[in-house]
Amino acid sequence: MTFDNMKKLTPQQLTKLHDHLIRNNTNDVLVNELLDHLACEAEEYIWKGYNFDLALEKITQEANSLAVKYLSKTYQHEIAMTDEQLQNASLDDIVFEFRNKAYGAYDLRQSYPFALRSALILGIGFFLMLMAFLSGMAQGSWSFFSTSGIMWLVGVCGVAYAIGTWFFQKSSQKYALPA
Amino acid sequence: MEATSNEFLRGTLKTIVLKLLAEHGRMYGYEITQSVKDRTNGEITLTFGALYPVLHKLEQEGFLLTESEEVDGRLRKYYTLTPSGSATAIQKVSEFERFVEAMQILLKPTEGGLSLSPL
Repeated sequence: MTFDNMKKLTPQQLTKLHDHLIRNNTNDVLVNELLDHLACEAEEYIWKGYNFDLALEKITQEANSLAVKYLSKTYQHEIAMTDEQLQNASLDDIVFEFRNKAYGAYDLRQSYPFALRSALILGIGFFLMLMAFLSGMAQGSWSFFSTSGIMWLVGVCGVAYAIGTWFFQKSSQKYALPA
Repeated sequence: MEATSNEFLRGTLKTIVLKLLAEHGRMYGYEITQSVKDRTNGEITLTFGALYPVLHKLEQEGFLLTESEEVDGRLRKYYTLTPSGSATAIQKVSEFERFVEAMQILLKPTEGGLSLSPL
């Protein structure tokens, strides 16, 4: 029905409202909710007989940067971590407290120690394997019970461990549902 | 008017939100502001700047559950009370009623006031 269509905002109009919120530095965690709020307001204005541009103007006047800033301030004041939480929070938790954790940077930071350890083990493993291989070549004979033989085995274990844990970590992340 | 009513509103916002959710079951942010506006004939208007921090705070405290649903091409976040939220709603409302009664007694001009100041 045309009446129904008249009341709903188009995707383009929603994008305009979204842009307005982003321009005014709306808190990441609040953007979707505020978008719905402003869209409802816009639809009410339109229902009352305003056209979209006029409604948008009124709404952006009300939801100006001052109002959004006030919201962010109250929000951070209300939701801020308690002292107890702060004691247990990592630096990442503090840095990302009011930010969008789903975006990716939080995950990258969280997995950084693991990636660093894997890379180190992998690097040392390859190095040991290379050394053992070269010394085996130089001697012309090969025994697993010589120094180079043990180096080779340790290297292989290190590389296998690093690749194995990395693979399992990746697959568990890939199939985990986003919270 | 706006600023003064805000001052009184600040302490009661949680109570208002919990009470409305206890009555309606499931609501989203804009619905709450409209409901408050309608029922008070526009006397009390909640701004989004005041409402959403309180909603998220209550959620953090374990009084509210949220679910997001796509409506008309955007995500709408619905709030419902948890069992502890329902209990808190009842407690807060009765506390506030007692407070209002006490305020009314305080605001009422008393005949006893005369006896306090002889002459």
